[in-house]
Amino acid sequence: MPSIAMRLGRLALVLLCVALVSFGLMMLSPIDPVDAYLGPQVAQVSPEQRALIAERWGFDAPPALQFGHWLRQLASGDLGWSHVYNQPVSEVIGQRFQRSIVLLAGAWLVSALLGFALGVMAGTKEGSPLDKMISTYAYLTVSTPAFWLAMLAVLLFSVTLGWAPTCCAGPAGVLDQDVTLATRLHHLVLPVTTLALLGIANITLHTRTRMLALMRSDIAIHAFAQGAGRFDVAWRHGLRHASLPAVTLAFASLGELFGGSILIEQVFAYPGLGQATVAAGLRSDIPLLLGIALFTALFVSIGNLVADTLYGVIDPRLTTGGS
Amino acid sequence: MTKATRPILLGIALSCLAAISTAQAKDQLILAIGGEPEQGFDPLLGWGQYGNPLFQSTLLSRGQDFAPQPELATKWSLSEDRLTWTLTLRGDARFADGTPVTADDVAYTFNTAAKAGGRADLSALAEATAIDEQTVTLRLHAPRITFIDQLLTLGIVPHAERENGYSEQYGRHPLGSGPYQLVEWQEGEQLIVERNPYFYGPTPDFERLVFLFTGEDATLSAAHAGQVDIAAIPPALAANVPTSMQRVIMESVDNRGILFPTQPDNGEHAASGAPIGNDVTADPAIRQAINLAVDRDTLVEVALHGFGRPAFGPADGLPWSSDEERIDAPNLAQAKGLLDAAGWELHDDGLRYKEGLPARFRLTYPSSDTTRQLLAEVSAEMVRPLGIEMQPTGRHWDDIQRHALHQDAILFGFGSHSPQEVYYLFHSQHAGNGYYNSGFYINSAVDAHLDAAQAAPSSEQANRHWQAAQWDGTTGYGLRGDASWAWLVNLEHVYFADTCLDVGELGVAPHGHGWPITANLLEWRWVCD
Repeated sequence: MPSIAMRLGRLALVLLCVALVSFGLMMLSPIDPVDAYLGPQVAQVSPEQRALIAERWGFDAPPALQFGHWLRQLASGDLGWSHVYNQPVSEVIGQRFQRSIVLLAGAWLVSALLGFALGVMAGTKEGSPLDKMISTYAYLTVSTPAFWLAMLAVLLFSVTLGWAPTCCAGPAGVLDQDVTLATRLHHLVLPVTTLALLGIANITLHTRTRMLALMRSDIAIHAFAQGAGRFDVAWRHGLRHASLPAVTLAFASLGELFGGSILIEQVFAYPGLGQATVAAGLRSDIPLLLGIALFTALFVSIGNLVADTLYGVIDPRLTTGGS
Repeated sequence: MTKATRPILLGIALSCLAAISTAQAKDQLILAIGGEPEQGFDPLLGWGQYGNPLFQSTLLSRGQDFAPQPELATKWSLSEDRLTWTLTLRGDARFADGTPVTADDVAYTFNTAAKAGGRADLSALAEATAIDEQTVTLRLHAPRITFIDQLLTLGIVPHAERENGYSEQYGRHPLGSGPYQLVEWQEGEQLIVERNPYFYGPTPDFERLVFLFTGEDATLSAAHAGQVDIAAIPPALAANVPTSMQRVIMESVDNRGILFPTQPDNGEHAASGAPIGNDVTADPAIRQAINLAVDRDTLVEVALHGFGRPAFGPADGLPWSSDEERIDAPNLAQAKGLLDAAGWELHDDGLRYKEGLPARFRLTYPSSDTTRQLLAEVSAEMVRPLGIEMQPTGRHWDDIQRHALHQDAILFGFGSHSPQEVYYLFHSQHAGNGYYNSGFYINSAVDAHLDAAQAAPSSEQANRHWQAAQWDGTTGYGLRGDASWAWLVNLEHVYFADTCLDVGELGVAPHGHGWPITANLLEWRWVCD
């Protein structure tokens, strides 16, 4: 097993690469930062004011200098200042992540657990009506864009039926502290469900394939010969066997989940990190975008690290080196 | 709260979400008109440049006829050399914490905003000085009548050195002397404000306002679900009005028009590297003929779904634009006559030529904007019978800036509450300066009128000079003169409003949909019980 220091070193290298690539992409982006800053007022200010804006927010510095400045700030623990939000980047990310984490964690848990359960059920009895139903459902959702599903969901459940709120993390006109837990959950149901659908199908299909393989293996035949039923075999041998791809997918999909949440947050007007990412990208807020990129990369890396560790727990054969 | 009532309240909260807006609407108004200032409510960075500053008050305000009205300042004058504004403040204005607004605060606001590097443009200001408690002077670098815009839009903040004064956090904790004070801002979601008890003006009709910052789709959904009292709606979706709501139309000078390069192609390039000039559009006859040929009423119907009006200038209906600038109906015969007289001969291929040069040029529009695409394509069809071929071409803004800006005809959108825009668009000093005067329009008579306007003693007198720049009897940038643009349409901004909400007499909105409707917020009334 590589030492902790080695892992941290690798992580730092990954983060640096992420930052460099994101910064490079921003530099290549055709967006003029002063135009983006001014928005609809782009043609209302004098050339002198444009120069002042560029100077104040550091748009006029050469790219290498901007990146160097950002790195130096980062070394002293400062992620920089976001000009879109006129706030330290760390505060922007902190505030928005608090909202996003609920959405992400909810969707992640639902998709992992439900996806795994469905996969095991379908794989246990290949060709049964239950298997066909689950497989059909999985193939349908895996090929459905999440944002489109989200729009349909809003149309049906919020506008036509009126069961769920159309937007936001809380009701209109109610102070943050006065929003009850039930109301919060009510506002979360639709976004979480649609976001979870994104992950369920994938995990289901992979788990199902693993289960099928198991059911055809010598182990299963041996067990059947001893008189064990299909569910018995699935329970005793299948779960652990099939959980490896599920764990891999669940943790590897953290990045995808982040991506999906950007779209879902747009549709549901849910004020999370996704909205901030879009704003940072479209309006050339380099410190904010780099901050979010680093944060996301860190998040996903940790996810992978956890998956790596879990492998060893689930299947001791996968523990390399050492003992 | 007792335990027994808790589940009941919970039930109400859950099941009657839709009813909240209607049940409390007398006190609380819910608006979904966009316009969230991500930077916060800091006037020094540009909050309030667009519509009502809500938390702060301004020195002057715009009347219905765009003439300045007293607000924080009761008296104002501009010195003989047009360099110094002297303003006398009212004595009864207080910030929302109860402390009085003084000349010190005003001077601080102006001096700090000039250095802030935000959207509030105070580059014309040399220095603001508090003379005594109630008198402040603003000294300019050069005569510039449009500096009055800042008296109309810059909200006054408390001096940094006083208690609750201005600081880096001001945008999220605004303190001002406006009609409302901030209760809570849930960023990306909503803004909740309540009346400022110390406001010097008339008490607003609504105790509480809630601004929802939802996107177009979510706003439309909320309007149809009955969760909002007024919502900004894209014209393409405005046909289907929800029950118990009505369509409210706000006129605007949010215009779209075709900018023509007015210089011939001499092989020159701008600082950005973009080539300058176009031999076809440099001929005034071509530009005038196009102006005569386009059917603006049809453009409104086709491209704007009927929500608009024909445009003939950059500021139709505003005091610095002449009402006489108009073409009542397209006139192809007159247009053909102009082209014939200018030597453009119609050939067998249906195109006109002058000395071997075909009357053909690109009409470029930003490819992301479907309205402008429609306008470009339909107007190209309209001028085709003249023997002029405009080739609609979609490009990204960046591409436009690097290649097309000074050599193609471009479908632009402008429209401002300030005549400063006219100055930027038509003064030769701004030729080739970014999006301003990108057609390199140069006319010394027009320059003289524009400069005379900036040096005028009042905005009313400046308006005469602004109008003269458009047409002074012999020349001008407008239709009757050099026809440097073919203005096509003015958009109308569409809102769905509860039938019980009376929004009074709406003004004319500038470029940009949404927040400008709040300009007359204090006149809004709830007319049902």
